[in-house]
Amino acid sequence: MIAFEDHFEMAEVEMRRLLELALSRGGDFAEIYSEYRVYSFINMEEDIIKETAESISLGLGVRVISGEKTGYGYTNDLSPESIKSAALTAAAIADSGKTASLPAFRKAPPSEDRYPLIQPAHQASLQDKIELVRRAYLSCQKVDSKIKTVKVLFQDQAQYVSVINSEGWAALDARPLVKLLCTAVAEKEKRKEIGFSGGGGRVGLEYFEQILTPEQIGREAAGEALLLLEAVEAPAGEMPVILAPGHAGVLVHEAVGHLLEADFNRKKTSIFWDKLGKKVGSPLLTIYDDPTLPSFRGSYNIDDEGTPPSKALLIDRGVVHSFLQDKLSARLMGRPLTGHARRQDYSCIPIPRMSNTYVDRGQDDPEDIVKSIAKGIYAEKFEGGQVEDSGTFTFSISAGYLIEEGRLTAPIKQATLIGTNIDILQKIERVGNDLSFGLQTGSCGKEGQEVPVTDGCPTIKISRMTVGGQS
Amino acid sequence: MTETLGARSLLGLAERTVSFGKQYGADEVEATVSDGREFSVDVRRGTIENLIEAGSRYLSFRVIKDGKTAHASSSDLQDETLHRLVRNAVSRAALGSHDECSGLPPLSSEKVDIPSLLLFDPEVAYLQTVQKIGLALETERIALEDKRITNSHGASFITNEVTTVLASSNGFVGSYDQTFCSLSVGLQAGETDERVEDYWVSVDRFFKNLESPETVARKAVARTVRQLKPRKVRTQTVPVIFEPGMTDWLVGFLFACVSASAVYRKTTFLAGRLGERVGNENITIIDDGLMPGRLGSRPYDSEGVPCRKTTVFERGVLRRFLCNTYAGRKLGLPTTGNADGTGVGPNNFYLLPGAATPQEIIASTERGLILTRTIGHGLNPVTGDLSRGAFGLWVEGGEIAFPVSEVTIAGNLEQILSQVEVVGNDLDFRAPVCGPTLKVAALTVAGE
Repeated sequence: MIAFEDHFEMAEVEMRRLLELALSRGGDFAEIYSEYRVYSFINMEEDIIKETAESISLGLGVRVISGEKTGYGYTNDLSPESIKSAALTAAAIADSGKTASLPAFRKAPPSEDRYPLIQPAHQASLQDKIELVRRAYLSCQKVDSKIKTVKVLFQDQAQYVSVINSEGWAALDARPLVKLLCTAVAEKEKRKEIGFSGGGGRVGLEYFEQILTPEQIGREAAGEALLLLEAVEAPAGEMPVILAPGHAGVLVHEAVGHLLEADFNRKKTSIFWDKLGKKVGSPLLTIYDDPTLPSFRGSYNIDDEGTPPSKALLIDRGVVHSFLQDKLSARLMGRPLTGHARRQDYSCIPIPRMSNTYVDRGQDDPEDIVKSIAKGIYAEKFEGGQVEDSGTFTFSISAGYLIEEGRLTAPIKQATLIGTNIDILQKIERVGNDLSFGLQTGSCGKEGQEVPVTDGCPTIKISRMTVGGQS
Repeated sequence: MTETLGARSLLGLAERTVSFGKQYGADEVEATVSDGREFSVDVRRGTIENLIEAGSRYLSFRVIKDGKTAHASSSDLQDETLHRLVRNAVSRAALGSHDECSGLPPLSSEKVDIPSLLLFDPEVAYLQTVQKIGLALETERIALEDKRITNSHGASFITNEVTTVLASSNGFVGSYDQTFCSLSVGLQAGETDERVEDYWVSVDRFFKNLESPETVARKAVARTVRQLKPRKVRTQTVPVIFEPGMTDWLVGFLFACVSASAVYRKTTFLAGRLGERVGNENITIIDDGLMPGRLGSRPYDSEGVPCRKTTVFERGVLRRFLCNTYAGRKLGLPTTGNADGTGVGPNNFYLLPGAATPQEIIASTERGLILTRTIGHGLNPVTGDLSRGAFGLWVEGGEIAFPVSEVTIAGNLEQILSQVEVVGNDLDFRAPVCGPTLKVAALTVAGE
């Protein structure tokens, strides 16, 4: 864990006065979210360190809830007048004439540390970080002479969050986040293909010695680009699809996870709003979202409303078990908090979000699953996906294989999978015993807010799905 | 929390950053300050859901020493922090690599008349909160009057006022004000398990030019209900008509492929192809930062280089890549006034319209797909390949027959540009990157 740094230095008595001001128009709930974040960035391409950057973000947001309404004001000017003005802006949402009395503050007990680390990246020297970048770069470049372009990015940040609210709750978190990403372009004759790999999480720099080395990351990116040089056009039409373990978790994230976020269900825009306790998918399917996984990119000690998070069981053997909650939705729906309120930064209102989402392991041997298909697609890696509340989703395969007579044969080029979630969930035929997670480099966007997430799954067979290729 | 900016000018902050940089030993320094006021209200089912009001200020700068560059940015603008950031940046630059293409552009003698660009609407600042809330409520109310609409994602009214200041050690000093406002509503139609959804948004710099609540509501309703009871279609290769919003998307992908940043990195299929034919006669694409009142207009780019009009594709032939100073130097090309932060960005980047009305284009199509929305990723600038989930309207005998869902479209950008049969006359600059309706002779539509 990294040590908490306070850049606000507001005494408890000032916080209390600010919360009282925020409730002065009769709001039900007020909260002050303060955030300080230091960020650094290194980019290597064309054999040189092309760019380094350092960024500081400091600001505070005041939120007031009145019934179903939310008022929000934020500022990065920390003068008493600006902070007061943010509180009054938020206060104006209410008009009830109700007066509030604040209870005594209770500090959140220190949680189990989810970011065990030795060498915090934000305290490491730039030289040490540049060395990691160079190692990934050179190992990628030397894999093959067909690797013509390499790009390596390193990003690290330390985010210090403090949440204090009118329920008297005060909580802190100091979240490290690191990412090393390598992109390779391979060329053969006129053809060019791109491959990528990366790693990181809420870890220290020791991760790159103990868990995943820059050399492994560089070689994997090169390997993928080289493989794609040999890829054939993906077929088009309906066919069986196997989701490879790990990266294919993005399907679960898109097709199911978003629609189980409480706000969409409270507003009845998600197709799951009336399906709590009902069977929506194959009994082989169990899905969790777990913000407590140590060192994972999507994890946190408290959520962005200060709630200690818990592992949420979303789908239990095909049945909708619960939604991902924030305070507003939990109260309006009469459901318990799950600790899934997140925000991109102090300028944003917290909303229900995923953290680390995965399909639980099943019983089947992954090889047997592949053997069960005569003609289909093995979807290995994805660029990303998107879902609509109505349940239609897509995701883009960036690497995969044809399945012919129970064997993986030619690698395939870019293709898109499309479906509607309930349909696909019912078509899950086999689930492997080989759960793994995708790269620790991904983020998820919702309503303009990006937060770090991961997703995972075992090998999964979907009996039929629409594949959009060119041939 | 002792000293804050108060009344000290934004320009002063930028200029001080430049002088700190010189003081700490940088050869060149460029500093940008942006100061914004944001208002946003979301309403849903007749009541306010969120109301946000805030001001924020942000500094970003780069220092160059011995041909080595370092960047930094901060929302903490206290002098103590600035000194530390600038000092760090100069010492960080020393650890970087020498790059002969780095550095600021020379100071240009051209000056753009800022008021004539019509970037700022004073009316936006004077709008009353009740009026802004009222617009959102009214839009949603009108939309929900339609009985086919079964749920609402809500309506929003947003305004932004932004002042941007730039100071450079090459002597450039500039400042301009901009406003933006938008009115939008998102809707669903159909019962829970057969829902369809869409939205409409009107965006403009000037409040008086914004579409009325009635127009926004009517368009959102029409776009949503036309998708009810969709069918799947068989996998086939057919003509595809891109609605303007879809052309915007295609033109946006093309921008990524003509950005000189991608070209010198060879991460675009258009690298090395200046002067070659990439599309057919119907493809003329312009980047123009000087169109009065348009969303992508600005007097000068983020390096202080005056904006201009650049013909990127002329009747199918690739004429220019869009450059900032650095990428231009890498390619031996002049900057085109497209610097945007540390990269290259579009100004108003648009496909020149043709003569046909959208109705004529549909009527000319015996059998095909009108593409109305796509979702997902699936764009690869290195190859030009694209593949996306799609929604649309099926055309039979020159008329819309039924809505289509759960299909994907796949193709290659160069092939698409070579097969544009007709370009519509309906370019409306709703977005900085945009185009009119167009018809592509053949694309693979994957379905059942």
